[in-house]
Amino acid sequence: MTKLAQNVVVKGVIRAGGLLPSALCRARKMLSMPRGGLQAASLTRIMGLIAVAAAVVLPLLVGQFYIRLGIEALLLGGLALSTGILLGFVGLLSLGQVAYFGVGAYISALLFLQATGSFWLVLAAVVICVSALAAVIGAIVIRTRGVYFALISLAFSEVLHKIAFNTVALGGSDGILGIPAPRIGFAGIGQIDLRDDGQFYYFALGVIVVIYFAIRRILATPFGSVLSAIRDNPERVPYLGYNPFWFRLLAYVAAAQVAAVSGMVFPLLRGYVSPDLLSFETTTRSLAMALVGGLSSVLGPLVGGGVITFMDSLVSSLTERHLLVLGLIFVIFVMTCPDGLIGIAARRLTRRERK
Amino acid sequence: MFRVVALSKSFGALQAVQDLYLDVPANSVTSIIGPNGAGKSTVFNLISGALTPDSGAIMFQDLDITGYPPYVINRLGVARSFQITNIFFGLTVLENLRLATQSSEPRRQFLRPLRRFRRPQQRASQLVAEFGLADRAEEIAGNLSHGDQRRLEIAICMASAPILLLLDEPTQGMSPTETMETDELIKSLKRQVAILLIEHDIDLVMGVSDNVIVMHQGRKLAEGPPDEIRRNATVQDAYLGRADADT
Repeated sequence: MTKLAQNVVVKGVIRAGGLLPSALCRARKMLSMPRGGLQAASLTRIMGLIAVAAAVVLPLLVGQFYIRLGIEALLLGGLALSTGILLGFVGLLSLGQVAYFGVGAYISALLFLQATGSFWLVLAAVVICVSALAAVIGAIVIRTRGVYFALISLAFSEVLHKIAFNTVALGGSDGILGIPAPRIGFAGIGQIDLRDDGQFYYFALGVIVVIYFAIRRILATPFGSVLSAIRDNPERVPYLGYNPFWFRLLAYVAAAQVAAVSGMVFPLLRGYVSPDLLSFETTTRSLAMALVGGLSSVLGPLVGGGVITFMDSLVSSLTERHLLVLGLIFVIFVMTCPDGLIGIAARRLTRRERK
Repeated sequence: MFRVVALSKSFGALQAVQDLYLDVPANSVTSIIGPNGAGKSTVFNLISGALTPDSGAIMFQDLDITGYPPYVINRLGVARSFQITNIFFGLTVLENLRLATQSSEPRRQFLRPLRRFRRPQQRASQLVAEFGLADRAEEIAGNLSHGDQRRLEIAICMASAPILLLLDEPTQGMSPTETMETDELIKSLKRQVAILLIEHDIDLVMGVSDNVIVMHQGRKLAEGPPDEIRRNATVQDAYLGRADADT
């Protein structure tokens, strides 16, 4: 049954690869077209505010189980964002972002368990290690295009998956257990105790919001414009005097950081990390999140992260075949609504505006 | 200013360009004409760095740029347009131009916010006006008419302030009026840059060119001022005599 589910998802991925470029182009046109009084900038701002407001009030309305699920949704949303910005803003379909999510998680697990209780030290270690790793892997994978890029990035993440699975020092197939949740100090101003679910939730939300604004900020620079040019028409870019290699590589490394920082926080929730985190299933889940949310905005993958995580939890309480449901939703979205939930919301909002 | 010496390129058994010599002086228009498959576009691909020649040299301002990658050649001052419209269809007209104008800015400033990046922005707005696209500045380039897209493509080339401009069939698919406008545009651009032009519209070529080169099967068949080329018997036989519509 899982085989069938995986089959559905893989077929969906291939289908997505074929359909995406034109659909994304349409979606982006709609989002960026100035119309009526409602400009694209204000449109994304409105949706962003709604999403943040929803995320802020959530813990006040639900119990511990859903707060913890919310944390998971935020952090997996970070992984989806890593995949989503590469596909939506640089035009690279990576099936390997989970590698950086996993590496971040394992470094965090090992260091918190054996070396230090300082969140900031571990963060620095994760950023440095993942930068180096992503620079090396990136320098290899971004030389390929399209489906080759997707497959070679998948191959790298599978290699890391197998390494984690087979290395005794990393706990093999069991993973690493008993990771202590740290207290995070903010230079004398105060501290956040991650053992408290409420505090953990708002901390995770804070991390994701910071990442979100950092990405928005980077996209609104000349560097970001070159990335959008590479996505739009990569062959033309060298004739404007840009070497696309460096722009792609920097974007790849930055996207890896997004996954790694989310991944670093992830094991602190349950106190353990397992090789499953690096599996193809996590990859397909993050891709489904990015697509269901929508790839034409930075917000989309995060919204997708929330929706898919909660839906998956609901469906898996009803049936064991939740992966099949996930696969079906994925395929339905790719075929009927490639600009995702954000696209649907944008259409709703602009339609109301026109009336 | 710009010279091509003994340039050759073959694809398998096909000799696309064979022992070609070119000389483009500053502030002049040199045109390359010839039937389809004569090797004209291959010449452009060699000069702009898309292809590496088998032999020969490409000299730009006393610098041997043979085999340089396209982005280096562009930054040195050679801009090219494409036979099939090649712009950023998903971006706005202004964004298309700003991408080209910001290219000459130092890369270490590339992470500053766009709104503080004034010079490229101003230059782009200026170009929009110069090329008569001002009222379409915020339009997505893919929504422009074919003629406007062709014009935008030339504007993008001019945005990088080139010294040599390579125009690959700029009037391709244009209406007679648009072709006439392009004719005037090329004449006015001549004051700013040296132009190497590939074009099938013979009237336009004869009108704007200082020098015409006729290519046939990868070789240079004839070279000279327009009048001379018009009278040349070999050329008439190979090319001008026949109606050779481009596809």
